[in-house]
Amino acid sequence: MKKHSKPKVAFFDFTDCEGCQLQFANMGSALLELTELVDIVNFREIMSEAGEDYEVAFIEGSITTDNDVKRIKRIREKAKAIISLGACATIGGVNGIKNRSPLELAKQRVYGDKADTVNTIKTMPVHEVVKVDYFINGCPVYIPEVISVVKCVLMGKPYIVPNYAVCVECKMNENVCRYEKDQECLGPVTRAGCNSWCINYGNKCYGCRGLVDNPASAGQKDILLKYGITLDDILQRFTLYNDSMGEKYDKDLKQ
Amino acid sequence: MKYAVIKKEDLNKWFEYLKKKARLYAPKKKENLYVFRPVKEVSEICLDYIPTVLPPKKYYFPQKEKLLKFSVQPFKTAKAIEEFEEFILLAVHTCDIAGIQCMDVVFRDGPEDPNYLNRKEKMTIIGIECLKYCDDKANCASMANHVPRGGYDLMMVDIDEKFILHINSEKGERLVKGVAYIKEASDKDMACLEHAREEKKKIFKEEFKASLSEVYESFDNNFNAKVWEDVGRRCVACGNCTAVCPTCYCFDVLDDMDLSLNEGLRYRIWNSCQMDDFAKVAGGEDFRKGRDLRQRHRYYRKFKYPVDKFNRYFCTGCGRCTRTCMAKISLIETVNALVEENAVSKKNTATAA
Repeated sequence: MKKHSKPKVAFFDFTDCEGCQLQFANMGSALLELTELVDIVNFREIMSEAGEDYEVAFIEGSITTDNDVKRIKRIREKAKAIISLGACATIGGVNGIKNRSPLELAKQRVYGDKADTVNTIKTMPVHEVVKVDYFINGCPVYIPEVISVVKCVLMGKPYIVPNYAVCVECKMNENVCRYEKDQECLGPVTRAGCNSWCINYGNKCYGCRGLVDNPASAGQKDILLKYGITLDDILQRFTLYNDSMGEKYDKDLKQ
Repeated sequence: MKYAVIKKEDLNKWFEYLKKKARLYAPKKKENLYVFRPVKEVSEICLDYIPTVLPPKKYYFPQKEKLLKFSVQPFKTAKAIEEFEEFILLAVHTCDIAGIQCMDVVFRDGPEDPNYLNRKEKMTIIGIECLKYCDDKANCASMANHVPRGGYDLMMVDIDEKFILHINSEKGERLVKGVAYIKEASDKDMACLEHAREEKKKIFKEEFKASLSEVYESFDNNFNAKVWEDVGRRCVACGNCTAVCPTCYCFDVLDDMDLSLNEGLRYRIWNSCQMDDFAKVAGGEDFRKGRDLRQRHRYYRKFKYPVDKFNRYFCTGCGRCTRTCMAKISLIETVNALVEENAVSKKNTATAA
């Protein structure tokens, strides 16, 4: 086998809970296999060194301050490949809730009379600021998908995030539909790739991977009505992860 | 021996016996629905069930199936699976047996598909005849699949205290031969079977408004029917209908490297004409962009194209697509609407002439 030169890999986090990096660190034996293929030079959850010489950068978290913007642009200049890791980085995630109210009001609510001392901007997924080469959706990321993406990076192949609904994978797993159980589930509008992870374990889909490109709003509304769910109900569910894209989704669903 | 009988009290004993013969798959309750699963305890087997979430096709055409092992350096390929195991599908409805017959036609059509045939060879089918409707979603009588029409090794029919077993193959015969509590059916048993079938005629009625040949004609003459607009508007392209269909066989093939980046596996994985990117080709052209066109395609793949190609309808009447559709798109209603459109357009043509 041809010896690959080991690419240097760094992990950086912005506004997030670091849970996706934790998933990575918790990968088990696959992580050891990965270290045969890559040099991890910067990953503060698992090591104390913080190398600044890297080719591949995993970015966790959303961009929410002017400083974040400067920092991510510096990373982009160095890295050959940028990988958005997790819901915050790919779609804004939970932090997107800030975008629902005017920035000044949000600041007041959180910081009270210290609001003036805080720099904050609207929540943005990473690709709104710099070019992103690979997307790993999910809150947290799904390890089999992480491994698939890493292999694509190493082989220089693009990774195509599925553009069909979670239902497709859910049905292959032969789950009983959540709607059969009178639960509202975001599977029909949410991008697959997680192997219907939550539903396999008896939960429902919370839409952490974002909407499919073409969510069929007319049909979707019919379905919600039939099951006695209002559009506001579902939009509320959707804002948990997708508020930074709120305007787009409002438009898609409310048209 | 062509027909045998087994007392209901002996059934579990026989199922234990079958379990020892080969891997046994049977319907089992899952939440409020049913699924085929490997049998651990024979007490879990449900003989009275409505069609399972997925048809048994997952055992002869798995959702994700290994096709080939390969290495890059040195370049080598090998069979992904050396040996396939014997298995028995127990209590398969006649609609699902029709589904297996359809798959057989497709995968035996040249070039034959060895991946399917390897599994099919190891499969024994024990059917069970429905004596009542599972629910109002099924259209098995219109498709004439509510009665056994071959394609099985054994067929079980409930005649009160006993089950009649129709022995339809050598494979089937081997599973009843020499079993002390399975006896040859008497004339009285056969009369019971006759009676059950007569009773059944009173229950099962054609669900479509028209005969199958009229249904075919409606598909043939009304490619641009209005009904697809309505269906397309309601569809959300979740792909449930194609995943649960016993005769949908589209797949994608993908290579997956392991972490050595030198060795890998080639898989095939179910694919669906309902997905957004299914009919997209290089250059971005999409031959079935709208959900209306994709749904129409699905129906034509059941009621028109396979009839022309294989002289066989590829709808089995199991009703799964209707049952699973969140948008409540009903196959019976859709076909009936198309038949009506056909009648109207025929009348208009006649008037114009």
